[in-house]
Amino acid sequence: MTENQRDTGPRHAVGEDRALTALDAALAASDADATEAFLTARSGEYTRFADTRVHHPQDIVEQQLMVRVVVDGHAARAATSRIEDITGTVHRACRAARAQAAAGLPGHAHPVAAAPEGRPDAPVRHPDTGTWDVGERSRLAGHAMDAARRAGGAAYGMFGRATTELAVATSGGVRVHTSATEAGAALTVKIDDGSSHWTDLGRSSTALDTHANITRAIGQARAARTPEELPDGVHDVVLGPLAAAEFLDFFGTFGFTGSALADGVGAVAERRGHQVASPLITVADDALAPVGLPIAFDFEGVPKRRVTFLDRGRVADAVTDLASAALLGTTSTGHAHIAREESPRAIPMNLVMSAGHTPEDALIAGVERGVYIQRFWYTRAVDTQATTITGVSRDACFLIEHGVLTRPVRGRRFTESVFGALARVDAVGDRLASKPLMNTWNGCASAPALRIRGFRFGSRPATSRDT
Amino acid sequence: MTPRPGPHSWGETADPRTADALLEAALDAATGPGVDHADVRLVECEELRLYAHHGAAPDERVEHNLGIGVRVLLDGAWGFAGLPLGDHTTAREAAHRAVANATEAARVNTERVTLPARTAVTGRFSTPVRTDPFAVPAQERYALLDAVLAAATAPARVVSAQAGFNAKRQHRHFADTEGSRQHQDFTESGAMLMAFAADRGQVQRRSYPNSFHGNTAAAGWEYVRSLDLVEEAARVGDEAVALLTAPTADPGIADLVIGPAQMSLQIHESCGHALELDRILGDEANYAGTSFITKDAIGALRYGSEAVDITADPTLPGTRGTFAFDDEGTPAARRPLVTRGVVRDFLSHRDSAARIGRAPIGAARSDGWAYPPVCFATNVFLEPGRGSTGELLERLGDGYLIDDNRSWSIDERRLNFQFGTEVAYEVRNGRKGRLLRDFSYGGTTPQFWGSVEAVAGPEEFKAFGMPCGKGEPKQWGFLGHGAAPTLVRGVRIGVA
Repeated sequence: MTENQRDTGPRHAVGEDRALTALDAALAASDADATEAFLTARSGEYTRFADTRVHHPQDIVEQQLMVRVVVDGHAARAATSRIEDITGTVHRACRAARAQAAAGLPGHAHPVAAAPEGRPDAPVRHPDTGTWDVGERSRLAGHAMDAARRAGGAAYGMFGRATTELAVATSGGVRVHTSATEAGAALTVKIDDGSSHWTDLGRSSTALDTHANITRAIGQARAARTPEELPDGVHDVVLGPLAAAEFLDFFGTFGFTGSALADGVGAVAERRGHQVASPLITVADDALAPVGLPIAFDFEGVPKRRVTFLDRGRVADAVTDLASAALLGTTSTGHAHIAREESPRAIPMNLVMSAGHTPEDALIAGVERGVYIQRFWYTRAVDTQATTITGVSRDACFLIEHGVLTRPVRGRRFTESVFGALARVDAVGDRLASKPLMNTWNGCASAPALRIRGFRFGSRPATSRDT
Repeated sequence: MTPRPGPHSWGETADPRTADALLEAALDAATGPGVDHADVRLVECEELRLYAHHGAAPDERVEHNLGIGVRVLLDGAWGFAGLPLGDHTTAREAAHRAVANATEAARVNTERVTLPARTAVTGRFSTPVRTDPFAVPAQERYALLDAVLAAATAPARVVSAQAGFNAKRQHRHFADTEGSRQHQDFTESGAMLMAFAADRGQVQRRSYPNSFHGNTAAAGWEYVRSLDLVEEAARVGDEAVALLTAPTADPGIADLVIGPAQMSLQIHESCGHALELDRILGDEANYAGTSFITKDAIGALRYGSEAVDITADPTLPGTRGTFAFDDEGTPAARRPLVTRGVVRDFLSHRDSAARIGRAPIGAARSDGWAYPPVCFATNVFLEPGRGSTGELLERLGDGYLIDDNRSWSIDERRLNFQFGTEVAYEVRNGRKGRLLRDFSYGGTTPQFWGSVEAVAGPEEFKAFGMPCGKGEPKQWGFLGHGAAPTLVRGVRIGVA
């Protein structure tokens, strides 16, 4: 189904006609040399529950129209949630750009996007998400809590759906709108001292297979009771898809961005073409893939392009927006982003690690002694040059003995190089799972399970870099 | 209540009478069969941000938003809706959606919440502002930004630098079915600077006035002027370069004096979050996590040493955690959280406090109008002790002086943590010596706080504003934390 067909998905915050009318008004109100306007809107419905109750059932509608104007090579932005009354906002942006010019600042702002030739298609609307209304989600939450209670534990989580809209118009001829459904689920089950977690999100609520995953999570939490300590040291591991997806969060930090490339730092600037990971590993930013949260274009109206970061283990390319593309003398890959309380820059937003051909059970069967890790938690970069991150393992983690999961183990801190770990991958799972990317608009990371030969838990030993 | 001319007389809802009409419309629509309580927040916010990377065009933006959030308690179940504001129709629509959500929740809930009755509290609050940051001439901002970047990038091996300023102003209007009517006007100003030096595959970063997002204060532009940004930018650039050739500390067990910026994050991660009562009760188990602290810890749990006094006080001016009323109308008050190392209270809101039979301390915070209130830190700080940093270093003897966070991670119970800092200095015989790079330390929360030996005096105290994430969907909280340099014995270092 295309986004222009009628469906019964979650309600729109704005809708195509209103959005494009507002953008047209913004362009008409501008007397700048060039003007770009984009509208983001999200109508979200979230059923959040904990143990005995749905404690945060929420409807949240957010919308913003932001304009960027260019005057004599100087650019400024202004934004408002009042999309029907945009004139004053446009004038504020124009005044700010003129003030920069009057102050004698260097005037080399990047231009706005021109109308593209053709437009990629992304599978963004699924009508089944329309049936996932507050009643259905509340019933599912009740079922999860009841089933966990019957198993001697408790369930916590959130089932939500949304319609996300993006519309862009520029004085260069761009005029586009997209409306995407979104369905997301997250569940943590605790039984005694055991726990399990499940997260997935995408455009279709049916694809989440929520009932089955509730049952699976309860079973895993039951199996994870009475965990024992995992000793520090190097272990062969099988990372579940959520644990593997955690690695993807850091590719922006590791230098797969136009700004890092322009500064001459990070993986692409310093190691392009180098074999840093196993040939089994291909990582890309691919907003056109039918996984996660596909979308066709970015805030600047530039069509999304697949950008390969690791091509069978070799460092490849970086994502760009119009600004970083101008610095690099190339074209934008469609990755403009503006994070809250940060300056605009291109970042990865739809990360996908390619699936392999090995079922997760077979990954586990290939480990004589090791550890299965369901997910990582609170991972943060320690050394972006060495691609070192730290975090802890958590929830349903088990020893692997003679190719099968045996005793549960407690979470443990790790500090590891992402490239180093990916270099030791010897098999890749056949199924992707998706998780949200923090602080990223429409951000998603999708990954398969991985088998890694040698993954260190505990403190990092001294290395030659320390001397 | 006509608004006074000045830094708070901006926007569509500066006049409380305008806001009151919308609040009443929402409250009227939120009452009905089964509704035990309703509250409404009307928030208008404007943010000004100016960022520049050395050598690139600056990015300047001003963002305005206005919306209404309605929360109802119906048959003991909460419901919430937040909508961008159109007119009175929007206010009623938000109320209807909140009631519909609560109705569905009540069908499946096995636990029902009853809020103890509360006397209505009405009042106004405005951030004291000497210089309205939105009235500062653009020319001044541009000139300062240019000078800061020039100073930071003067050293040859500084490959990039970013600097920026931010200002935020808000009108927050609140009303509830108990009769409370509150109007608060907030102003914030802040700045950030990061310089990156690179050489032979190594990159080092220095920041000012704090890492990542810089620092933001509840104040006018006078705060930015107080930062001596150009002078500090020169220092930051030089230090980033010096770190490239600095040695590292040997891993092991060491004594530390931790500076105010890093201590503020230590407080945030291992104290503030750990004491959030909604976490303790499991409300955040699926997302932000739980806590090693249990609901029966008050008066019973030794959290730290006798030197550890931790206070929540939103009445202290100047921080992102400063306010007169929290986001469900509880008046701000100074509350001891940890006294001489023992837990004395939690960061609670009405829902969580009611569930354990305590009064809320007023830690309900929400990210503007669009999100329901959850327990966030307010202005949570380590009480200063006595003496200067120099005296504390003398007491330290041999060890390290560290500050400015580079990396942070903590487990979901807020127990096992690992931090890295931008800078560390070797200390020998109480004297600050060599600069060291890539410093890290780790431990567990009670062990760390139990090893605090001394805290420097109030003259060394610094406060920092920081953002934080919690809730599903994630909302941001804006908090204040502060500390004076703190002496901690027997900490594991070189862990990353």
